[in-house]
Formats: sequence, structure tokens, C-alpha cells
Amino acid sequence: MFFESLRISLSSIYMNKLRSSLTALGIIIGVLSVTVMGTLISGLDRSFENSMSWLGKDILYISRWEWFSDMEWWEVRNRPRMKLSYEEKIREMSDYALAVSPVIQREASLSFSDKNTQTVIFGTNVEYMETVKEDIQFGRFFTQGEERSAARVTIIGSGIKDAFFEYQDPIGKYIKIDGIKFRVIGVLEKQGKFLGLFSVDYQAILPLGAYTRLFSKRGFMRLSVKVNEKKIDDAKSELQSVMRRIRGLKPGEKDDFAINQTKAFETQYNTLKFAIGGTGLFITILSLIVGGIGIMNIMFVSVKERTREIGVRKAIGATPNMILVQFLFEAIIICVIGGLIGLALAFGASFFINKIFPSTLPLWLSIVSIIMSILVGVISGIVPSYQAARLDPIEALRYE
Amino acid sequence: MSSLISLQNIKRHYEVGDEIVRALDGVDLTINHNEYISIMGPSGSGKSTLMNMIGCLDTPSSGKYEFEGELVHDMDDNQLASIRNRKIGFVFQTFNLLPKATALHNVEVPLIYSNIPKNQRIDKASKSLTEVGLHDRMYHRPNELSGGQRQRVAIARALVNDPSIILADEPTGNLDSKSGAEIMNILDSLYSRGNTIILVTHEEYIANHAHRIINIFDGKIKDDKIVKKK
Ligand SMILES: Nc1ncnc2c1ncn2[C@@H]1O[C@H](COP(=O)(O)OP(=O)(O)OP(=O)(O)O)[C@@H](O)[C@H]1O
Ligand SMILES: [Mg+2]
Repeated sequence: MFFESLRISLSSIYMNKLRSSLTALGIIIGVLSVTVMGTLISGLDRSFENSMSWLGKDILYISRWEWFSDMEWWEVRNRPRMKLSYEEKIREMSDYALAVSPVIQREASLSFSDKNTQTVIFGTNVEYMETVKEDIQFGRFFTQGEERSAARVTIIGSGIKDAFFEYQDPIGKYIKIDGIKFRVIGVLEKQGKFLGLFSVDYQAILPLGAYTRLFSKRGFMRLSVKVNEKKIDDAKSELQSVMRRIRGLKPGEKDDFAINQTKAFETQYNTLKFAIGGTGLFITILSLIVGGIGIMNIMFVSVKERTREIGVRKAIGATPNMILVQFLFEAIIICVIGGLIGLALAFGASFFINKIFPSTLPLWLSIVSIIMSILVGVISGIVPSYQAARLDPIEALRYE
Repeated sequence: MSSLISLQNIKRHYEVGDEIVRALDGVDLTINHNEYISIMGPSGSGKSTLMNMIGCLDTPSSGKYEFEGELVHDMDDNQLASIRNRKIGFVFQTFNLLPKATALHNVEVPLIYSNIPKNQRIDKASKSLTEVGLHDRMYHRPNELSGGQRQRVAIARALVNDPSIILADEPTGNLDSKSGAEIMNILDSLYSRGNTIILVTHEEYIANHAHRIINIFDGKIKDDKIVKKK
């Protein structure tokens, strides 16, 4: 009986191919948009997770510039610069700071034999490695002694290693940074792109002493402060008052510095995610409603056209439920076929999205979208099917 | 022998606006196994209404209807569907086949509704088609068949579930005389093999195939007589 109803419904859909496929379009678009949206979000989630683990949830970043704020650039520029001396003061005054690492950075040109590249160099202290999640892959970080004595040693990113040394061992080799010779003592692990935007693998890290002596004390500076992740809010307000004391701000005066944390990224990211998800969901719901109404309409027409057939079927023994099931199946099958087409297109699309940034179409979402198609079929098919089931056989047989 | 069908004071009224149309107005009728009955009467006299009533497509406004001991007037839609499926075979004036299905599938449909497995269905349906002389037309669709052939498919469909009674409402009404004669031959032979047949017709010569002729006028049986011995 089940398979017969299925067969009857299938043949009726087949006989009205064009009409059926036009109706299924709404479902196709609905499923496509919800699954593509899901793919995008899964990809974003993944690259966001990676990038966030690089930043670290237990680090506070003190600088002039507040992340994701709408402050004017000149306002930021008018704030006093960060100073290297803050490091010592924070160590003295803060109970929450577990590690403090000043980081100054600027552009520089690096070269090794005939190869050269333009990149960012960092000057920092020994505690730097505690404030980042990356690890040394080969060699070692510099020591306290090397930092104090302004030793000309450097730790390079894996990108630079690949570009300069290929398969050679870089440890102990000398590279030139803005013409000055530095000995490579370590190589950092490969990190990949940050938020899929820029690579952090082309950096060179120098001891603060050497950086300030050979390059300038100026340049963009921040302080990375490691704290206990569980107490990060308390730590942040303590550091705020520490910074205010350092800067000598009176009560009522506004902060002229910013304390950032990765939460800012999360907030920003969630906003983006909701925007994408919301748009996708809106398109999905809209096209499912339009598709559902279309299918309901087609089903009403189909019941009308086949009134006589319904009469005949009833005369030879079909119960109302059998008629109901036949028409309901028809609506559901159109929706499921639409859903499957949408899903197939979404798989195609996710293949291309995956080439831009790593992402997959989540399996649960594929299943949900098929269930959703079935639901649309049931909801839009139930009223016409019920109408067909309730037809009076004599009236139906007489219908022209 | 207990009767096959017994109608007692059956009324079927339609309300049309303020008026009441008495399509059947107190019909008493008993039909036994292996009878061959013609129902005659002017247009609008209630012949089709009576056939629909006997065929369990319709239920009486009042009165008592017994079919092989089952009380039809008390049945719900599902029970009516089941009794139509198992016990009644319809032949309509306009054939009423499924236009997009083959002859074989058309004959198969009643068996689908009685949950008979596929291989048995094909068996029974093709046997039934062979009986009406259409063994070489099984995979033709209605639009590839002549009127007479279509009506024979309809008869095959009516026969396929071994019904207790075959109801034919003007089965030759849409056919030329030659095809009509063929159909009447088939009905005659079904009768001689023990089937019970009720036939509605306007034509005297068609009615004369039966052994019992009932005349209806204004929803009432005017006369009911045996015209032939078996
Ligand atoms: N659904 C309905 N609503 C109202 N009146 C109806 C309905 N069906 C039948 N009638 C009326 O009942 C009466 C009997 O109709 P029926 O179809 O049984 O006549 P008939 O004897 O078969 O006529 P014909 O020879 O023309 O086929 C007619 O007066 C008809 O108008
Ligand atoms: Mg009639």
C-alpha cells in the first residue's frame, strides 16, 4: 500500500514535470540558502577558533588603540605613547599580572644571501613566549642575558625559514635585518593565517635590548599581560587603575589608553555570525513559505483536476485515508526532491567555498534541511489532501 | 436461500434550496444470488440513485439496507469503502478508467486497495482481462482503446475481486450497437456462470437480456416482474 501510494504519487509528479519543478524551486532555494549559510558559519567558526587560540584568552593587551572602537584615528594618535618603563611599574603595582611582555614592532627588510623580504620585526622580552600560544619548533628562545646584553640573535617565523633556508638548518645562520647581522637561534611553529586575513608566519623576534639600541624606541608598542583566565575581569579593572596611576590621571578624566582582550574579537565575531545566520535564515524562511504556498496551490489544482479519478478510486474501494496518503505523498515527494536538489547544489557550493577558506557542510544541517522539506510538504499538502479525501464519491464521479 | 440484498422502505431526499427532491421515495426490494435484473424508467426517476444506493456509494436518508446480512445503512466511510472493494463491481456509462494507466493497471487498482501482493495482482488482473477478450491489450492506455474495449476493461476491473454483484449503469449508453452487443454478450455469460447483475437501461432490447425487469417512476418502484425463467 505504502509503495503503491508512492508509485501513484511519483507517476503523477512525473506527468506534471514542469509544474512540479517550478513549485519545487522555493524549496530548492530555501535548502540551498540554509545549507550555504551553515557552511559559511562552520568555516568562519573554524578559522576563528584557530585565530583565537593563537591570541589566548588569558592575555590583556594594553595599547593606545582600542579594538573595534569607533574612535577617530587622530584621537588615538593624540594619546600619549606607551613607554617601555611601564613594564617595571606594572610588575610592581599589579597583583594579577603573571607575565608582562612589552612588544614594539615595525617594518624591516630581511635578507639572507641573495634572498630578501619585507616583514615585521618584534622587539620583546623573555616573557614573550608566555603571552602567546605559539611554540618554538627548532632551536630556542633568547635568554634574559641575551635580552639585557642586546645580543644580536633572532627567532624567525616558519614562513621566513621556508623562504630563506628551504631544507637547510637555519640555526646558527646569520641573516641581515635592515643590513645588520643577526644570528638565527630559533624557528617558530607554523601558525597559518590570522582570521584568514594575514599570515603571522613572516615575523622575526629580537631581544628588546638589541631592538631599542639598533632600531628606534618608537614604533607601535603594546604590553601583553598574562593573567589568570578565571580572574580576567578583576585583573582588567586592576590594570586599569594601575595604568591610570602610571599616567597620573585625575578622577573624572577619561582613560588615555586601552586594555583589550580577545573577548572583543568574540563579540565582533558573534555580531558577524548573527548577521550571516540571520540573513540566511530570513531567506530560507521566506523561500520556504513561498515554496509551501506554491505547493499548496499546485495540490489544490491537482485535486480539482483529478476529482473524477478520486471518485473512481473511491468507487472501487479506496478509503478516505488512502486518498489522503496518495496526495500527501505527492506534496512531500515534490518537497523532498526540491530539498535534495538544493542539497546537491549546496554541496557544489561548499566545495568552492572550501577553496577560499576551509569549511564543510555540516551533516546535521543536511539532515535538518531534508526534515524541513518533509515538514513543508506535510504542512502545505495536508489541506488539499484532506479535501481530496473528503470528496463525496458520487459528486466526484459526476464532475466534468 | 437467504437474499443477497434487501432494501426496506429506502428513502433518499435532497434538499435543494427550500424544496425537497425525493430521488428515492420508499423503495422495497429484495435481490437474490444469481439474478439478472434490468432497471428501467424515465430520466430523473431515480435509477442512478438506486444503483448508487445498492452500490454503497450513497447512504439512505431513511430505511434499512442489508447486504449479505451486513447493515449498510449503519456503516461509516471506511466500511463502505471496504464493502465496495470486496463485494461490488461497478460498470459506468462513461467507463471511468484512469486515463494515464494501462489496462492492466486499471484492473489492478481494486486489488491494491485490498492489499493483495503484487504478483497475485498481476495474475488476477491479467486473468480478468483475458476473460473479457483483452489479453492482447493489457499494456494499452484507455486512449489507445476503442469505446467497446474500454468498457470491457471496466468490466474486467469490476470482476477482478470476485464481487457478489455487478452494477452497470447504462453500460452501453456511450457505445455503438455492435460494441453494445459485445458488452451484453459478456454480461450474459457472466450471468450464466453464476454472477448477479443489475443493469440500468433505457432500451427495451437491452433490458430484455435480464430475467427480471423493474420499472421506476418518481423514486418509487412501479412494477417488478419476472420475464424469463432461468
Ligand atoms: N446531488 C443531487 N442534488 C439534488 N438532486 C439530485 C442530486 N442527485 C440526483 N438528484 C435528483 O434526483 C432525481 C433522480 O436522479 P437520478 O440521477 O437517479 O435519475 P436517473 O433515473 O438516473 O435519470 P437518467 O435516466 O437521466 O440518468 C432527479 O430528479 C435528480 O435531479
Ligand atoms: Mg442515471
